[in-house]
Amino acid sequence: MQSQFNIEQQLLAALADGQRAATEQIYRQNYPIISGWLVKNGGSSTDADDLFQEAIVVLFGKAQDTEFRLTCSIGTYLFAISKHLWYKKLQRQNREPVALHDNTGDDEDETGIAYDDDISTHQEREEHYEQLDAALEQIGEPCRSILKAYYHHDKSMQEIAADFGYTNPDNAKTQKYKCLTRLRKIFYSEMN
Amino acid sequence: MSISNNYIWELAEAYLAGSIPISELEKLQQRLITDAAFANEFNEATNLIRSATGSGKQKRFKAMLRDVHQEQVAKVANKKAKHIIFTPEFWRTAAVAAGVAILTSTITFWSLKPSLNKNESRYNRISREVTGLKIAQAKQLEKQKQLELDLDSKTKKNTAPTSDVKKTGTGFALTNNGYFVTAYHVIHDENGYGDSVYIQNHEGQYYKASLVTFDADADVAIMKIDKAGFRFGKGELPYTFNQAKASLGTHIFTLGYPADEISYDEGYISSRNGYDGNNMQYTLELPVGHGQSGSPMVDAKGNVLGLLTAVGAEAEDKTYAISAKAITSLLHKLPDEKNIKLPKHAKIGYLTREQQIDKMEAYTFSVKVYKK
Repeated sequence: MQSQFNIEQQLLAALADGQRAATEQIYRQNYPIISGWLVKNGGSSTDADDLFQEAIVVLFGKAQDTEFRLTCSIGTYLFAISKHLWYKKLQRQNREPVALHDNTGDDEDETGIAYDDDISTHQEREEHYEQLDAALEQIGEPCRSILKAYYHHDKSMQEIAADFGYTNPDNAKTQKYKCLTRLRKIFYSEMN
Repeated sequence: MSISNNYIWELAEAYLAGSIPISELEKLQQRLITDAAFANEFNEATNLIRSATGSGKQKRFKAMLRDVHQEQVAKVANKKAKHIIFTPEFWRTAAVAAGVAILTSTITFWSLKPSLNKNESRYNRISREVTGLKIAQAKQLEKQKQLELDLDSKTKKNTAPTSDVKKTGTGFALTNNGYFVTAYHVIHDENGYGDSVYIQNHEGQYYKASLVTFDADADVAIMKIDKAGFRFGKGELPYTFNQAKASLGTHIFTLGYPADEISYDEGYISSRNGYDGNNMQYTLELPVGHGQSGSPMVDAKGNVLGLLTAVGAEAEDKTYAISAKAITSLLHKLPDEKNIKLPKHAKIGYLTREQQIDKMEAYTFSVKVYKK
């Protein structure tokens, strides 16, 4: 039970798939170390929670690409991302950056740049999703609820047809396509 | 718009799912090169679907992550509290000396009530007696429900019986084809069995059920819906059964019917054994009401660990659950055991709590006992 995933790549694939057991294992193995480090470096335990969760989301986002291979362990990666996130946060707050204790080994130099790239890709993605959410809020009902049910809550077209009172999944599907057309108009007109 | 709505989205969905045959794919690629307007539309459609899918997946992941975080934090806090304050030996001595140990919200805060009358029952079954005014109310509700049902569809003939509801509890499915489990005391008490037992599902429909087998000591009854070809839900059961003894502190939740509305509650295993040291039971820190007898006790991964049976009478602060082992051993005694195959996997293991509840609703229902 302690370790259902023996190979890191398996663990990563399970994380990318959103499996709870994998997430729990990663949490157990890494959260204490990272939060301990952060508290030693001027962060609160709330900072540690936020930071660690964001770091896992960065990894989750990276792992969505099935071609993605880690060049270090998951632990090292999360630790490095957490440090970089914390460093950026301190910079944003215009505080004197705390010297980064390098207790994970070689995460600086050229690999440090890679972590920065991963973080900015992550932030761009977050912004993109926020814009999409904003567009979704504007399309009106029943479209908003139908698209949320399908994309956010992972409901099947059968379930949606039943929940929204369509006589069959095909009718619900046609409605979904209409909604997507509306979403597309709003989303891309705002982008331009 | 030049191209029909459905077409471009169907094409984009098929493309992203990788379900376009190679010959078609070549034609598509050709068109993307030669027809710029089409290419623009196609790209926007695929990008939008990709983003919506990715965003949704990330949202579910984040929700699950928050849940994992809370669970892990709670586990750590729980462990610390126990290690510092109590040893099991101390516990037992304290409990014996006082006769009764009353638990409040956590193990670290407990008090003793020396004034307790030992002869008083400390153990109340949590089925719901329906008497007097309640019967009137229930009848009224039933009438309403029936009216709604009649309006709803004439093809549904799943009507409630005309006699009075005497008692209600909760049940949950063992197999999708109609076997379910509830607490034995829901269907049988000192006055014997009711005239008939019906379940009422989350959509308000009634189905008649018959007793298959029971274990009065363990307080488990296995029943089956009479209707041929009956199914609780669309697919296999979303949860599985775990008969191994679960750890102290395991977080659990339950769905049940304290009233006509389904209710969700959560808590944790506060003691490995149940009432009076009964090792076929757990003691839970879980707020429940009457009518929740027979409700499933489920862990975060979708394993059914037990079945709610009773609460401590004093302030109803303790809840007792029968271990899932009592259910499985009862199933093993059945001659036609082969017909009851419990689900092997919990489909809801990695879902958020909201989704888990959503998937479980169809398999959890009110059990109503009628008597003239």
